[in-house]
Amino acid sequence: MGSLERSGLHGLFAVYKPPGLHWKHLRDTVEFKLLKGLNSKKQYTPKEHIRFLLAPKEGSERGELTLIAKNVPALSEHSLVRGPKYTSMKVGVGHLLDVKSSGVLVLGVGRGNKLLTDIYNAHLTKDYTVRGLLGKATDDFSDEGRLIEKTTYDHVTPEKLSRILAVIQGSHQKAMVMYSNLDLKTQEAYEMAVKGLIRPMDKSPMLITGIRCLKFAPPEFLLEIQCMHETQQLLRRVVHEIGLELKSSAVCTQVRRTRDGVFTLEDALLRTQWNIHNIQTSIQKAAPRVEAELEKSQTIALDHPDPVGQSVS
Amino acid sequence: MAMAGTTWRGVCAGVRRARPLLPGQQRSLLPGSAVALLRMRWTAAGKSRSRREAAEAEADAPVYQYVSERARRADRIFTWGFSYTGALGIPSFVQPSADGPAAGRKPRAIQPVPYRLEMDARISSVACGYGFTLLSSQTQDITKVWGMGLNKDSQLGFHRSRKDKSRGYEYVLEPSPVPLPLDRPQETRVLQVACGRAHSLILTDREGVLSMGNNSYGQCGRAVVANEIYSESHQVHRMRDFDGRVVQIVCGQDHSLFLTDKGEVYSCGWGADGQTGLGHYNITSTPTKVGGAIGGVRIVQVATYGDFCLAVSADGDLFGWGNSEYLQLASITEATQVNIPTHLPFSGIGKVKQAACGGTSGAVLNDEGNVFVWGYGILGKGPNLMETALPEMIPPTLFGLSDFNPDVRVSHICCGLSQFAALTNKGELFVWGKNIRGCLGIGRLEDQYFPWRRAW
Repeated sequence: MGSLERSGLHGLFAVYKPPGLHWKHLRDTVEFKLLKGLNSKKQYTPKEHIRFLLAPKEGSERGELTLIAKNVPALSEHSLVRGPKYTSMKVGVGHLLDVKSSGVLVLGVGRGNKLLTDIYNAHLTKDYTVRGLLGKATDDFSDEGRLIEKTTYDHVTPEKLSRILAVIQGSHQKAMVMYSNLDLKTQEAYEMAVKGLIRPMDKSPMLITGIRCLKFAPPEFLLEIQCMHETQQLLRRVVHEIGLELKSSAVCTQVRRTRDGVFTLEDALLRTQWNIHNIQTSIQKAAPRVEAELEKSQTIALDHPDPVGQSVS
Repeated sequence: MAMAGTTWRGVCAGVRRARPLLPGQQRSLLPGSAVALLRMRWTAAGKSRSRREAAEAEADAPVYQYVSERARRADRIFTWGFSYTGALGIPSFVQPSADGPAAGRKPRAIQPVPYRLEMDARISSVACGYGFTLLSSQTQDITKVWGMGLNKDSQLGFHRSRKDKSRGYEYVLEPSPVPLPLDRPQETRVLQVACGRAHSLILTDREGVLSMGNNSYGQCGRAVVANEIYSESHQVHRMRDFDGRVVQIVCGQDHSLFLTDKGEVYSCGWGADGQTGLGHYNITSTPTKVGGAIGGVRIVQVATYGDFCLAVSADGDLFGWGNSEYLQLASITEATQVNIPTHLPFSGIGKVKQAACGGTSGAVLNDEGNVFVWGYGILGKGPNLMETALPEMIPPTLFGLSDFNPDVRVSHICCGLSQFAALTNKGELFVWGKNIRGCLGIGRLEDQYFPWRRAW
């Protein structure tokens, strides 16, 4: 097991999950590839040792047996005898992505699994690009669901859409301040509001910190959403509710995570890059950023009062 | 959170009157209908139909139209705050009716969040006085102005009581038409209304300025009559002898300011704090042109609320006069009253686009969309900044400026007695200040020390 400790496979890295793949299958595939890489490193060197074997004596007619020293191969180290050296590895998953969505998925190996808990408690925001299609409403808010209703959408303009997005963002900003349990009458609350640092450090419903429309070409539109404590189905529901507010209907065709905390699309490894070497370099590159972000979140958590109302520090 | 299968009910739960564009597929009695029904039959396991069948069913489904292509958003009026005087215009707040949803409850003292006020007409100007409200529309119909709230000084005009035809109402609980003595009521339009402590002004496009209400200091622009009784009075005074056309009217607590299209300012009313700006501390009972530093300068906007006045010139300069007990004019003088308009040479605020006065503070908006505040009270930069003589900028991040929205600018500011409101170019409303009786409309009754997004 010494090799595993020194292999550099301890930390966090990001992969790109394609749509249609369950996160569990992805995690199993990555684990399998890592094990394959580790097991292939060990080269088998054929060893021999001396054994005293019974053999017929030379020059004897009655077939007497004597011990003769012979060099025979030692098979105890052979991989077919022992089996592969590494059979399992601890690979953990960060914030999940459901089957239909795609994007950055953070995984942790070895000691990095402990960092996964710290990342979760840091309550960082995530970026998504969400594609919506106007004109129909389905039961699961995506375009593969059962059709509920079709509506017209020729009255929808970019101004109406941005007004609705501003209202959504405003109500979520208000919820953010409410769930962060800050006393708004203090100077610290004012300073945090100026810097934009007000954020709940506890459980809360989905909060959208920023939402804007990148492209509008009816019937399609592309939104960029920055949120925390979300699930992808809730984001699809937001698209559906935007359709209702526009007095039309909308479904979500694509949910793609472009950033999860400090990991962006550039850090995410593609399926062809899921091997031990790429993962090691990826872990090394991301380690300082992860550490810096966790330190920053620790200081914010210390300043935040806990729900009872008293400051932790 | 809710599962996908249960939440689609929200789609049909709201009241929607739909007209299918492609009529009656399910109900026809044509021979081919049986086949059509079979194809669109909903199976229990919804996704077991083939993709082709699903696509065909989707193409056959009717398209509903809820709103036409050129639908325009209806303008809406919302009121909030202290409701005992009836100033919110909802009678059931003050007198819960014997039957109906509010039966048996006490009158609602405070409406902490905005409540929709249903008005048929398209309202273009609104003004809040001390316990009363005026709404006006630019229509050419006979009824152009509605008033509600306190009417003990006839600041809403005369509203005949239904119980006793010789008396008038002291409290008007819902928006009631204000009778105006116009020469041509079906041609004149009302452009703006303004309300002070106990008087109101109405600006028309071709018949000058009308004033009603308390005149004990000449704030209505007519001579003070000793021992005049203002309640249940029918008197509406008309002022027409201005040099030029009046384009803006503002009411202070007990004084009035008029701005003409030539850029000149007239004032009348109480002057003990110098708020009339005429060089003396007496009352003035006819609108008189204001000189001082603004004589000869083209003024584009005037503002006042309490006893302190600000004027903005076409070049973006700022002039002030009136009360200075709360450091409003402390940057130029130690005196607590200034009775002649003086230039306020604030550096660092850029070109002033709009000014607003509170009771104890002032605020300006410059052409870059930044808000500067000074004076005394909750100014909007946290509980530590309670008074300053020089304007301080409110960080634009508090109005929603961020990497996500880099082009957020404040487009309009407004002041109450100790409150501020700002409207951004994204159409969002921010309020801050002392939350007296829920007047900020944020749903809480605590003071707000920095701009708070008023979202619902």
